Amino acid sequence: MLKKTAIQKISDLAAELLAKGTLIAPVKESAGFNFREISDSGQVDFSFYNTLMSPKSAFFPQTEDFVRYDKNKSVLDAQCVDLNLKPIFLFGVRPCDVKSFEIMDIHFSGTGAVDPYWKKRREATTIFGYAFDLKTPADSADFYSTLNIGAADPEGSDIFMMKKGDGLLLKAITPKGENLLSSLGSLTEASADEIKYFDDTVAAGRSFKTRFTCVDDKVIAKKLEDLFHKTEFWEKISDACLSCGACTFVCPTCYCFDICDETLFAAGVRRRVWDSCMFTDFTMEASGHNPRTKVYQRLRQKICHKYSFHIRKYGVISCVGCGRCTRSCPVNIDIFSIVDQALKE
Amino acid sequence: MCSNNPYIPMPVEIIKIIDEVDTHDIKSFRLKFLNKEDEAKFKYLPGQFSELSVYGKGESPIGIASSPTEEGYVEFTVQRAGAIQPGLVTAALHDMDEGAKIGLRGPLGNSWPIEFLEKKNIVVVGGGFAFTTLRSLINYMLHKDNRSRFGEITVIYGARTPGLLLYKDELAAWKKRDDIKTIITVDKGDGTWKGREGFVPAVCKDVAPSPKNAVAVICGPPIMIKFTLPVFFDLGFSKGNIFTSLEMRMKCGIGKCGRCNVGYKYVCSDGPVFSLAELDELPRDF
Repeated sequence: MLKKTAIQKISDLAAELLAKGTLIAPVKESAGFNFREISDSGQVDFSFYNTLMSPKSAFFPQTEDFVRYDKNKSVLDAQCVDLNLKPIFLFGVRPCDVKSFEIMDIHFSGTGAVDPYWKKRREATTIFGYAFDLKTPADSADFYSTLNIGAADPEGSDIFMMKKGDGLLLKAITPKGENLLSSLGSLTEASADEIKYFDDTVAAGRSFKTRFTCVDDKVIAKKLEDLFHKTEFWEKISDACLSCGACTFVCPTCYCFDICDETLFAAGVRRRVWDSCMFTDFTMEASGHNPRTKVYQRLRQKICHKYSFHIRKYGVISCVGCGRCTRSCPVNIDIFSIVDQALKE
Repeated sequence: MCSNNPYIPMPVEIIKIIDEVDTHDIKSFRLKFLNKEDEAKFKYLPGQFSELSVYGKGESPIGIASSPTEEGYVEFTVQRAGAIQPGLVTAALHDMDEGAKIGLRGPLGNSWPIEFLEKKNIVVVGGGFAFTTLRSLINYMLHKDNRSRFGEITVIYGARTPGLLLYKDELAAWKKRDDIKTIITVDKGDGTWKGREGFVPAVCKDVAPSPKNAVAVICGPPIMIKFTLPVFFDLGFSKGNIFTSLEMRMKCGIGKCGRCNVGYKYVCSDGPVFSLAELDELPRDF
């Protein structure tokens, strides 16, 4: 099922989605675009390239409350915080970011213990993927084609969207997307030409150029294992690293979190908050022992996690080449270059 | 969201506190489930751990010191932690009285390889405070329903001083049994100590357990492990027949928070128990 609307009328579509549930879409803020819950249908702005922060917060928010407690009361009186979710529409997700959800699914709900928060938010959400504009060159930091992700790959989205002139084409990819798309009155049927345009663009997206190096999962995993104890390599690449953790916070596939109790007088909340393997106290034990006191050990952990450990554990690289870490690094550390250098070692 | 949520602790009551050592910084906490269904679900094996949870302070991963053959409670031996900063949870626990209610999440992690240990001679080597899950294992194997499943059991346990030995009554009881060989040593005795003196590695060398159809289960401070392993290699124990339990900082305990990895393994969910053969495949990052 392929439908269409005019870009100018996107607020009508947004209004329909808002009537059905929660709409999360890119919004222009002073520093750039970010995914935000939208209350006014006019806020949806399709002039973005990609968002500063990844859309992972739709399923894995920076803070998630688990339990409310009162220190003066019994543990039996602690109140588990419920998630009352309306249907969620995550609108305008780039193909590389859509891919990140699949990678995170393996970790949060596909293997071992199931994270109920991730699962519940994921199930409540319909994903509107959105093709990169193939007429605009990729940002210099992007390298998603290295990870075998096309600029217009519809896989993983429930509904996949692309621009055609002043219009927006929307194709149902999953039954969930099909049901939703058929219920949206502001859309019209696409023509045979537009169906062809859609398919041609998906195909063209496969050969769209970003930075590219040939990375085989097993080769890079083994290479980094072999390099792990070659301290000079890691010291050199981490020389400028400030260990600030910005790369991990903007990353769509970083999932490390802390569980904190925040108490004001007697009342408090136990919540999870994003954490980062780049922080010094991340692995510090109560005894004072810390296996990763040095910056190179932490950057090594990050790189090896994404391009080696994750492959050994889950069978996939934990990176989608979205380029955010490179764009947000204050000292221009670039994971693509590190992987490229590692392969040449 | 509240039922079967692995992040939400089960309520338990501290029914007994045992002051284990003469420095009074290690106590055992015997916990009873406040909900019957929680108790029924809490099926564990020796070597597993749990998160002890005190709202307002946080959670700490602690090995289970009781054996599943002990019914009606689950026990944890907790050291007041914190060489640099005091450990919030362990300090709070140490300041609690019997009757206090706390939270518990678990059982977590894998266990000592019980099936692999069956029909084999077992050498248990422990040092200091790291004897808790070994005690669970020993009591499990000694239980009348289980004893015949295992071969000879040898226990070599050491502490710095006689006053720092854990579970003194049980050690004395094991010494009297003829179905377990119990060797206790201290680094340095006091005026009343009549037992062995010497470091655990040296005592292992002296006792020289046979590697024939035998498995060594070793847990202790890193320095003890470092010098004990070569003794067992020299005796002829293979790396696949030596097991130990790792520690890393943990939060979730279920392999989600990304904190406790050593290479591609999460210590909380892939461990904490690993054979030496498995550890050899992992980077030295712990």
